[in-house]
Amino acid sequence: MSLMKLGLVRGLIGEVVGALAGVFVVMLIRAATGYESAYSAEPCWVIGLLSGSIGFLIGVGALTDWSKWWVGQETPMHHGPPVGQPAWTRYFGVDYNHKVIGIQYGVTGFIMLMIGGGFALLFRTELARSGLQFLQPATYNTVMSMHGWAALFSILIGVGGMANYIVPLMLGAEDMAFPRLNAFAYWINVPAIISLLASTYYGWDGGWTVYPPLSLRGGAGYQFVFIAIFLLGFSSILGSLNIIATIIRMRPPGMSLFRMPIFCWAVMATSFLQLTATQFIAQAFLMLSVSRALGMGFFDPAKGGDPILFQHLFWFYSHPAVYVFVLPGLGIISEILPVFCRKPLFGYRWVALSSVGIALVGFIVWGHHMFTSGYAPYLRVWFMISTLLVAVPTGVKFFSWLGTMWGGKLTFPTPMLFVLGAISVFLLGGLSGPVLATVASDQPLQDSYFVLGHFHATIFGGFVFPFFAAIYYWYPKITGRMYNETMGKIHFWIMTPAFWVMSLGQMTAGTMGMRRRIADYEQGLAGFVNPHLGTIEVIHMAITLSAFVIAFGILLMIYNLFHSAEMGKVAGSNPWRSRSPEWQIPSPIPEHSYARPITVVGEPYDYGLPGSYVTMAGAAAGDD
Amino acid sequence: MSAVTSAVPVAHHGHDAAHDTHGADHHEDNYAVAWRHNRLGLWLFFLSEAFLFGGLLATRFYLWQENGITTRPPLNQVVGLVVTVVLLISSFSMNLAETGLEHGDRKMFMRGLVVTAVLGLVFLFGVMIFEWGLFPSIHETELSPSKDVYGAVVFAMTGMHAIHVISGLVFIVLIWNLGRKGHFSQERHWGVEACAIYWHYVDLVWIFFYPAIYLIGTAIHH
Amino acid sequence: MPKSSTHPRHFIIVGVLVAIVTLVLYVVLERALPMPAQASLEALTIDWLFGLHMLVLSFLFALVVVFMVYSIVVFRRREGDDTDGEHIEGSTSIEIAWTVIPLILVVIFAFIGFKTLNDITRQDPNSVVIKAHAQQWQWQFEYEGGVISDTLVVPLQHRVHIELDSKDVIHSFFVSEFRVKQDAVPGMVTHVDFTPIMSTEEYLAIADRKGEEMKVRCAELCGLSHWSMMAPVRVVPENEFTAWLHREMVKVNPALTKADLSKTSN
Ligand code: HEA
Ligand code: HEA
Ligand code: CUA
Ligand SMILES: [Cu+2]
Repeated sequence: MSLMKLGLVRGLIGEVVGALAGVFVVMLIRAATGYESAYSAEPCWVIGLLSGSIGFLIGVGALTDWSKWWVGQETPMHHGPPVGQPAWTRYFGVDYNHKVIGIQYGVTGFIMLMIGGGFALLFRTELARSGLQFLQPATYNTVMSMHGWAALFSILIGVGGMANYIVPLMLGAEDMAFPRLNAFAYWINVPAIISLLASTYYGWDGGWTVYPPLSLRGGAGYQFVFIAIFLLGFSSILGSLNIIATIIRMRPPGMSLFRMPIFCWAVMATSFLQLTATQFIAQAFLMLSVSRALGMGFFDPAKGGDPILFQHLFWFYSHPAVYVFVLPGLGIISEILPVFCRKPLFGYRWVALSSVGIALVGFIVWGHHMFTSGYAPYLRVWFMISTLLVAVPTGVKFFSWLGTMWGGKLTFPTPMLFVLGAISVFLLGGLSGPVLATVASDQPLQDSYFVLGHFHATIFGGFVFPFFAAIYYWYPKITGRMYNETMGKIHFWIMTPAFWVMSLGQMTAGTMGMRRRIADYEQGLAGFVNPHLGTIEVIHMAITLSAFVIAFGILLMIYNLFHSAEMGKVAGSNPWRSRSPEWQIPSPIPEHSYARPITVVGEPYDYGLPGSYVTMAGAAAGDD
Repeated sequence: MSAVTSAVPVAHHGHDAAHDTHGADHHEDNYAVAWRHNRLGLWLFFLSEAFLFGGLLATRFYLWQENGITTRPPLNQVVGLVVTVVLLISSFSMNLAETGLEHGDRKMFMRGLVVTAVLGLVFLFGVMIFEWGLFPSIHETELSPSKDVYGAVVFAMTGMHAIHVISGLVFIVLIWNLGRKGHFSQERHWGVEACAIYWHYVDLVWIFFYPAIYLIGTAIHH
Repeated sequence: MPKSSTHPRHFIIVGVLVAIVTLVLYVVLERALPMPAQASLEALTIDWLFGLHMLVLSFLFALVVVFMVYSIVVFRRREGDDTDGEHIEGSTSIEIAWTVIPLILVVIFAFIGFKTLNDITRQDPNSVVIKAHAQQWQWQFEYEGGVISDTLVVPLQHRVHIELDSKDVIHSFFVSEFRVKQDAVPGMVTHVDFTPIMSTEEYLAIADRKGEEMKVRCAELCGLSHWSMMAPVRVVPENEFTAWLHREMVKVNPALTKADLSKTSN
């Protein structure tokens, strides 16, 4: 089989050709308009990356159908793998089946997690000891900043994976509302990732928050990042639009909003955040980009601009974004818990509405990242109060989970372990939130390792653990085989304690006065020795070691997933005895998931009652 | 997210929407279902874009103030008024085009599109020539994107809006071309509807931008 | 164990366990999350608030985790039992309770947060005013009479008002022993207040100090040498401070007389 048959390969060729063409055009223009040198990294690569991305999309074929429509051709929907090619090739090219796209998203997210984590391992090795060892400060800053964005890419893409794969299945729908848009939204992530990774060549040192004026100076790498986030944001917006349309319009008969599986609620709340707030980061980064390119003065005090404005725009997206990271994960918890407790989800409506509550309140709290920024003092009080309020709907979720477990018949296969781990880890992260939300106690902790402890715990508890739980849980549905249970449990039991050491270690370092984003720290940091835990160096060493243990756990998981795809026990259609519709159809799921339309006749989590959640229409049916 | 506009789920044939039940043969039904999906998708897209334009407005009010007083740059009021009126009229002609098609009057439909495109171009060139000073031989302006925040914000707002006008124009050309070839009917014209609402939306945005740029606040001279 | 999951015995056991775990956690957290020396009045206020947070945090953590672990142990499925758990869909009154009680807690915390914030930002017209200029990658402190210093010298037991500005990018003024932090933003002047209560001498005298003095550390990523952007802090008794300031003022302007000097605020 020729490699050119793979959309990905064609896309990459398109990327290279497009990028070179873009660079060439800019050089021509510069030569023609009398610049001293035709080549200048920044303008050439800004255009180059944009044209390269378009080249990629053309090459991979994400625009083919649309361009045909524009001239009036019909394009029938193709089902199944590309004609005359092995089935696996469909994962490497444009495919409109949401299950394929979901896997594409999921795997890409996982790869980004490894890349982001790999950057962390790199700089954690440097930080294990005080003193500069092998990373010079400039490199350190780039690696650290890359860790931040690569990891956040992994979340946004991973969330896309879960939503794309699961939501249409839960709705008993044939596919997403807009399959082509879905594929397009996935494929723009690839040029986004290429731009992000390419940025390391020129370097950039702003952290993931890229505050100006720092980000207006420094290497051309910044422009790469801006373009990467621009494309990623584009994907988020289109993807979430599709999800909302799917959930609103494609529910089966009988599935009122309050009879949807709870994950759909979480994803819907998330999607509304992404649909709207993402525009702000796009705008903020576009403003940075044009400021660099054209000298526009939005953030330059000399031109009447204001650096704080950027922080407002940035956090107006990036705070809601943290709820984008966790809401789907919390949805996964609420989804899986009842199955392994054999009990209904306690207070379904409250859990559903709490997602909406978190999303809504999430819009009015962004200023808590700016308590020390120097904005008007009264704003601090307002943002303190609004931030603390988020604890209330989040608490509702926790207490409902407790209510679900209480009096159940709990079993503990790997997905359940990761769910329980997620609850405990997210609790640690969540509870450290109010400490940061009260302005006074935020003072010493802002931009310290305490904040890192806070958000690694929320992110692991709200995304990484649930993501792993979801992978283990739906693995039998996806592959038709069971993963290896023992290995799964080992993965859990080495990753979880290591994570606790890492996150608590970061909090400890933070209270001891360890600042974020520093390439090196003083051995005795302010001469301060913790009589119980030793010097700060001991703590850093512990964080680094646990990072490697986590990485080992993840490698084990990867091995398990690959190994079991061939060697695992055949799973059967419903190994977890779940009531959810996707478990009532064969595993692996056939091309057209539901041979017959489903009708909802019960509540999604009525464990303990006879009767089922959905029924499939008789063979005679088939019309609506 | 400007580029979005060209890839709006334009689905003007309505094919991007998944079918209710696979293999079902009710072609018309599917078209109607897809149309409703698409319409929702487009409105969601508008909701998203509202935040983009809202962000620009917020930026304008944040940056254009001195000592607590809202300010604005000294722009040519005549130009502002003229282009605004032109854009408003274009919404009207777009409406004529759409209702024309709905009533089976293809002539009105095609003419309406042409008039709308021409008016859109007039708006665009008005802004480019008289506001941006892109063609100094015709008109020179003191406004510069790099001089101060007044120039920067005017360029950002009008620029972002202009990108939308341009994609609207591209959209009109596509629709016009399809219409010329005999596509679209009274019952099946999602593409036309999408194009029309999109154009109205871009128009609506300008109704917010125009006062923010031209009218509100004290004009300052530097 | 009682058969019914709503039997009071369960809740009594859990209640006792929660109390114990709360205490244990609180003690552990106190030790695991230590703050540097308390060298300012703000440190006292902030550490108090932090401690309160830790107490509440310990309780809430214990509450959730004890319930969870208790369920894991007591309500796990027995061998060979394939039936489902009890069918309980929820309870509106319980839901309202665990919405309203946290809400009250949050309001109380907002109130305390507001009080402590007022406390640490208290303005005093008699403050010593020091201008701190930040730039990549160094600090400079400006006192009255045009005195410029690379060390931040502040008087003991006297309110200090720092006015911050920056020449290039955003930096942040952070002295962990004072617990205060404030960004220095180009194009604007920001400020921060504190009252030092521990002199450098005392500070160095505490065991384990290894001769390291307090430092201003830049806490906002500002480029290449952000990590090493620091300046020493010296806290001295007030009379020493005045004497130092006067010496420096005379260095800047030798024409200054004793009378001129005594007119200055300190
Ligand atoms: C992934 C997600 C995520 C989540 C879910 C959260 C959740 C919360 N975050 Fe966090 N946060 C981040 C990710 C996240 N955060 C990141 C990435 C940063 C750093 C960005 C950067 O600078 O790089 C950050 C930084 C950050 C700051 C700024 C710190 C600083 O820079 O100075 C603050 C301050 O208020 C804050 C607060 C909170 C609060 C109050 C919550 C709340 O939502 C938590 C609510 C949950 C609970 C409280 C626990 C459960 C509730 C109960 C058991 C009920 C009873 C509880 C009470 C009554 C208190 N966060
Ligand atoms: C998804 C989000 C996510 C995840 C999973 C992680 C995971 C980790 N993070 Fe991350 N972190 C962030 C998001 C995340 N982080 C963000 C947003 C920042 C802020 C950046 C900024 O300030 O701008 C940050 C900053 C940050 C810092 C502060 C840097 C500084 O301020 O100087 C530190 C320091 O300890 C750290 C540590 C770690 C560690 C040890 C892990 C470990 O869990 C990693 C474990 C390892 C893996 C998950 C990878 C597995 C690897 C393999 C299986 C094999 C190796 C693969 C390759 C070589 C390709 N992180
Ligand atoms: Cu200055 Cu960091
Ligand atoms: Cu936040």
